[in-house]
Amino acid sequence: MTGAAAGVRFHVGNAVVARVAAQCAHQVPGVLGLRADLAHALLGLAGSVLGPDLVQPATDGVTATVHGDRAEIALTVVTRIGVNCRDLARAVQQEVAAAVTAYTGLAVVVQVTIAEVRLD
Amino acid sequence: MNAGELGEVSREMSGAVDPDAGPTIEVLACGRDAAAVWDRATAGARDEHERDCLHCAAAIADARKLDAVVHRMATEPVQPPPSVMDRVMGAVLAELRPHDVLELDSPHGPALLSRPAAAAVLRHVVDGMDGMRARSCRIEQLGPATGDASRAGPVTVAMTVTARFGVDLASVTARVRQMIIAAGAQALGVAVRRVDIEVVDVFESGLDRGGPR
Repeated sequence: MTGAAAGVRFHVGNAVVARVAAQCAHQVPGVLGLRADLAHALLGLAGSVLGPDLVQPATDGVTATVHGDRAEIALTVVTRIGVNCRDLARAVQQEVAAAVTAYTGLAVVVQVTIAEVRLD
Repeated sequence: MNAGELGEVSREMSGAVDPDAGPTIEVLACGRDAAAVWDRATAGARDEHERDCLHCAAAIADARKLDAVVHRMATEPVQPPPSVMDRVMGAVLAELRPHDVLELDSPHGPALLSRPAAAAVLRHVVDGMDGMRARSCRIEQLGPATGDASRAGPVTVAMTVTARFGVDLASVTARVRQMIIAAGAQALGVAVRRVDIEVVDVFESGLDRGGPR
């Protein structure tokens, strides 16, 4: 969680990684949006019941976990018909990994789940 | 252990409580039953003895203290231990993640496609064909291709369709098969190894619009 650049040590939290990843994923051509999956829905529900101290508010559609100098990111995206799902998933993985690494210096593994393909 | 020993044990255990004493009642030093004193004090109906007796007063004060503690604890919000969220979310994620997704081939990490979404795409493609309507579509993914475990395996597609009355089933199902293989490669990015098509019904051309789905 700490990075060293020019003698400065800094600390990157899960939420930062999640927000950078979400913003970058939105800009990948073919991504219509991110989708809060059941886990996010439950987290939101739990947050409203248990209070924000116990449950950190999540960025919808992104789960990020930082372990040491590595980050694991799971994104759930929505696309539309006509976009090749495999190519889209690869593009999202590449762009998000590059953006998060550039911003935080962490080594990143991105898991992409395409939850919906809009047909209209 | 034989029956004789058992009888001995049970007699000994029952002997621990004197059967002639009845239910034992803890009486206060003044001879009153503490439970009765508490009940009357709660109801606000203390008699003359209970108002003056030190032992009764002490018993009532104890009961009040206990009552206050119990009420305070009862009104405190329940604070679950921090591990509860982790355990619940772990269970939910374990339940959801490997469930109902197809793997997509990617060198950059895990890439998954919702199986219902993939089936919807294939049905949409078939629905767009003249004289054909898709009904169910089942997609199964086979194990990874030989040698390389990181590569996603090919899929098999089983689809049920209805055809317009009068179309040549042999040629139209052959076309459906080609369309599904092409859509798998172009729209989904998965290799379709096998397509099973079952024509489950026919429909009249007049019912074409809206279709008997």
